[in-house]
Amino acid sequence: MYIELKNINKSYGGFKASDNVNFGIEKGKLVALLGPSGSGKTTILRMIAGLENPDSGEIIIDGRVVNAVPASERGIGFVFQSYALFRYMTVYDNIAFGLKVRRMNKAAINERVNGLIELIGLKGFGNRYPSQLSGGQRQRVAFARALAPNPQVLLLDEPFAAIDAKVRQELRKWLKDMIHQLGVTGIFVTHDQDEAIEVSDEIIVTNKGRVEQTGTPIDIYRHPATAFTSSFFGVTSELSDYMSFRSFDDIGEYDKAIVRPEFVKITKKNEFQKYKSSAVEGVVRDTQFRGNSIEVTVNCNNCTFSARRGLDEPAVEIGEKVDVFIYRIFVTHGDDVKLLKNNALREETVVI
Amino acid sequence: MTAENTEKTSPVISREGSTDIHAKTAGSKAVKIILITVSVLFLFVMLVMPLITVIYEAFRKGLVPYLEAISDPDTMSALLLTLEATVIAVVINTVFGLFAAWTISKFRFHGKKVLVTLIDLPVTVSPIIAGLIFVLTFGRQSVLYPFLESIDFMVVYAVPGIILATVFVTFPFISREILPVLDAQGTDEEEAAALMGAKGLTIFRKITLPHIKWALMYGIVLCAARAMGEFGAVSVLSGHLRGKTVTLPLQVEILFGDNKFMPAFAVSSILVVLAVVILIVRSIVEYIGKRRGEK
Ligand SMILES: Nc1ncnc2c1ncn2[C@@H]1O[C@H](COP(=O)(O)OP(=O)(O)O)[C@@H](O)[C@H]1O
Ligand SMILES: [Mg+2]
Repeated sequence: MYIELKNINKSYGGFKASDNVNFGIEKGKLVALLGPSGSGKTTILRMIAGLENPDSGEIIIDGRVVNAVPASERGIGFVFQSYALFRYMTVYDNIAFGLKVRRMNKAAINERVNGLIELIGLKGFGNRYPSQLSGGQRQRVAFARALAPNPQVLLLDEPFAAIDAKVRQELRKWLKDMIHQLGVTGIFVTHDQDEAIEVSDEIIVTNKGRVEQTGTPIDIYRHPATAFTSSFFGVTSELSDYMSFRSFDDIGEYDKAIVRPEFVKITKKNEFQKYKSSAVEGVVRDTQFRGNSIEVTVNCNNCTFSARRGLDEPAVEIGEKVDVFIYRIFVTHGDDVKLLKNNALREETVVI
Repeated sequence: MTAENTEKTSPVISREGSTDIHAKTAGSKAVKIILITVSVLFLFVMLVMPLITVIYEAFRKGLVPYLEAISDPDTMSALLLTLEATVIAVVINTVFGLFAAWTISKFRFHGKKVLVTLIDLPVTVSPIIAGLIFVLTFGRQSVLYPFLESIDFMVVYAVPGIILATVFVTFPFISREILPVLDAQGTDEEEAAALMGAKGLTIFRKITLPHIKWALMYGIVLCAARAMGEFGAVSVLSGHLRGKTVTLPLQVEILFGDNKFMPAFAVSSILVVLAVVILIVRSIVEYIGKRRGEK
């Protein structure tokens, strides 16, 4: 592990911003810290950077405990949520700052800064001040500035939060490619799961100062380990009484039954439905075109949830009565989560 | 006034029950003219007239008596002492102001509120009382007095006392100007610089100073203006030793007390000129500062 946090605790006053945080990140990986606002993501990032000291626990970078190493000597690149560009310096001087501090010679600085300006696609903007740039351009300058001194670790705090949706999409891909190309180890903070899924190699889910789960995006999506992750991750709806849907085991006491759109199959009355006997009748409340599918919201057994239908399938109308079949549900109890499969599926495997 | 009237017009302007909209705007125009006239008149009576009077009285007997009056050795030494006290006060308060403002805005610590309140103390305490406090602290009845006497360092009725009093009363001016700017900047840029390996002094010079430069200049101007005009606290600590511990404002008082009106006005005119110079500098600083801020 290149970066490792061991039993990190941090309190502000009586408030636990980090509660026994543990995780490790391999060299060259781009990892997302994903969690709702206030879950302690920024705090973790600031402790790794050395801007904040943990109350207890160890932070290890490249095999060395860095708790006592001041921020200025950790050699970490940091992109602030607000970018924190030096507003009285030009783009060029912003990027050159870290190199000048290192007393690199002028020619080398010039070469590196101009190279970076080109890399971020801002050639000809070197003499501009941050206030004369768009949000996306500022973000890229902040990125280049953090990278200029060749850090081995790059930390980014909600790097896309202040950028409009269209540019954001572009920047995400750009950032991902760039980081892998440079071979640095990166951690970025986000509260947006789509962003985390799209950009990162691995996701660390945080909640209330704790790490809920770590794993690859697909891993976490398929196997949420805690009640929190199962409802936080993905588009989820709750069923008030899952036993009212046919063919699920009764596990006794539970808190929430959660379905995702891909857990649900909606068929028109005249369509073929293999598990018709286990389907429940529902009423279509809404349909939404989603680009590559139609999202259908149904009302069924006093619950509202959605499913997707292909663009090539016959359209369903609002108010239409349809068959609703649920393949799987996540059922949570306390901190635990359990995946329940519809028994109709199991019977079939037995038969075959 | 009927209930109907009150409903239709704004309560501020309608007095005479003028109900239609046009009368209302006309009314607000009249209000505008009245307010401007009152303000101008007030400024004229309170500021312009006295200034003209000072200059007029100073030159009433002609240029030669004026020049004689202001080249009087006592006046010259008063001018020098005033400038000396002002410069020292500005230097000390600049250093202190920077430290205090920095400490308050960049760190979280216990007693911060108390410190902020304490910084304001000199403007809330009457200058006379401030003077008395220093007399009690450093004068004959003080426990420090034997020590001060043994090293031959007199504070009360001596130049150090004057400087001390001036520093005290101008204490908050600079830190008060910088604080809001530092607060608004937050610590992000400094942290970013630190993460790139910059040390404290570099961070201050390259990041913080450019940001607070204009606020600092403005604070210095205010501090200088206040330092030059200080009368109360200095008066208590001065002892009025002519040619030694008398500042310009005190010199004016002395001349006035001796019924030497023309010389009193002549000396006052020096202060007026200094004040005008400071006002001009202030306007320039403010103007440039604003333009920079907009960029
Ligand atoms: N400097 C601080 N002083 C007091 N409380 C703080 C400070 N920094 C963070 N917190 C608290 O710690 C919690 C976690 O904050 P943060 O790490 O910024 O969350 P996130 O980045 O996930 O939104 C929040 O409730 C926040 O109020
Ligand atoms: Mg945050």
